[in-house]
Amino acid sequence: MKKTINIPYGSQHIALLEPVRFQFETQNEKIVGVKADIGYVHRGIEKACTSTFEYKQIPSVVARVCGLCAITHSLTYVMAVEQIIDVNVSEKAKYLRMLMVELDRIHSHMLCLSHTAENAGYEALFMQIMADREIIMDIQEAISGNRVQFDFVCIGGVNRDITDEIVKFIIKSLNELQPKIEDIFDMFENNWSLSLKYKGIGAITKENASIYNALGPLARAAGLETDVRAESDYYPYEKIGYKMILEQTGDIYGRNRVRLREILSSIDMIKNILCDIPEGNIIEKVKGKPNGESVARLEAPRGEIFYYLKGVKQAMLDRVRTKTPTFSGIPAMVEIFKGQEYGDVPAILASFDPCMSCTAK
Amino acid sequence: MFEKFRKKSPWILHYNAGSCNGCDIEILASLAPKYDLERFGIINTGNPKQSDILLVTGPVTLKSRERLVELYSQMPEPKVVVAIGVCTCTGGVFRKMYNVKAGVDRYVPVDVYVPGCASSPDQIIDGVVQALAILEEKSKDIEKPKRLFGELTNNSIFTNRREMAKKIKHEKN
Repeated sequence: MKKTINIPYGSQHIALLEPVRFQFETQNEKIVGVKADIGYVHRGIEKACTSTFEYKQIPSVVARVCGLCAITHSLTYVMAVEQIIDVNVSEKAKYLRMLMVELDRIHSHMLCLSHTAENAGYEALFMQIMADREIIMDIQEAISGNRVQFDFVCIGGVNRDITDEIVKFIIKSLNELQPKIEDIFDMFENNWSLSLKYKGIGAITKENASIYNALGPLARAAGLETDVRAESDYYPYEKIGYKMILEQTGDIYGRNRVRLREILSSIDMIKNILCDIPEGNIIEKVKGKPNGESVARLEAPRGEIFYYLKGVKQAMLDRVRTKTPTFSGIPAMVEIFKGQEYGDVPAILASFDPCMSCTAK
Repeated sequence: MFEKFRKKSPWILHYNAGSCNGCDIEILASLAPKYDLERFGIINTGNPKQSDILLVTGPVTLKSRERLVELYSQMPEPKVVVAIGVCTCTGGVFRKMYNVKAGVDRYVPVDVYVPGCASSPDQIIDGVVQALAILEEKSKDIEKPKRLFGELTNNSIFTNRREMAKKIKHEKN
């Protein structure tokens, strides 16, 4: 039996955006065991949703679970409430919601790619991607009025309408963005020193991805077909040209490729959405109080978000349960770390795109 | 000599004490080319022992507050604390939740408050530039011969974790 050394990583570290602590058990440079400690950001939002806030206020509370995928949290909650109190959302509101979800996916993926590049030692590429990401942030500001925490959806529809000038602005900006993404794609594909950090590192097989419950880009990079956009028919994703994106390698390189190709496909989808936004109201009147149980799920940038609600004919809900993608994916992440070099940890961790404030709530 | 360099290139330390990531990505965005906080000579560093400005985001959860005080006490004097985001200043939406008390200024002294949910990069840059002025003032203050003027008093800032545990009892209900 060889001696092992424990190395703590976190809770405050230059390569970490959020406080999370890993305890790596290493033999020489190889990692043989990992423990994760994730509770640093726990605030008690689920409890507050059932004790402090009424059900109409909750969309803007659950948006504060996570700033990166704020729209998906409030949207999934809103979908679950609409099932209980029988509100039919107009087609136009559905299209506007899809538009915001896809924009959110683009900016989240770009942040993850830039962070992966930085942790592989490419400061310049980090700066380049962050600069290009501002295009998406400007679009979000034009549509919703805020850069990050846009409380765009509400129960019964969306809060703001979209005008012709904004549509023109979005199409112009996206046409600007597309060649830039292709440049970055080329960089990730052909740069030799990046490939040393990415190719074959942090790999997971398709079987293991299925056993350890990988979600989102992590699973799709290993060839596992899992995407809520293809599985549910709540939103008309087939109409706007959705295609599932799969890679077979399962390593960091594969995850980056999945993210880059998803950005390109999201840009195409947004253009299709903008071409055929139907006419109609953006918001429906909401009456009554929730009585009964419902579940809703949606594809967030990192995987599946799941909400369970239970109402007892009162303004306060009885139970709000959130299941977030990073939380479900932790077993897969721990599995990937085993057998890797300790020096690759920052890049592998960034390529998971972990969202700790989602996980701890 | 140190004084000059401190003013020209202050290093920042960023700690997320339970925020929703909104302000954190805005800090990253303000370091990136469009807003470019780095033109003031600022570099984001992960080491508390080399940094001058502490950027705190988040309403300080019970688990992260000891780390926050530890980080603050490891930073060398003079140091400035900037609270970013409304939940850092007052608690925000998280104010009455069971794992959160109200705001960061219960644990460390705050010099600049930056409101907003999430604070936009413009606001963050404004806050950091104000912090630079305060940093300069503080570094002048340090060099003053205090004992000569009879100004040497104990201030109620925690210098380590044990001292904090003595003063603030863990409130569990």
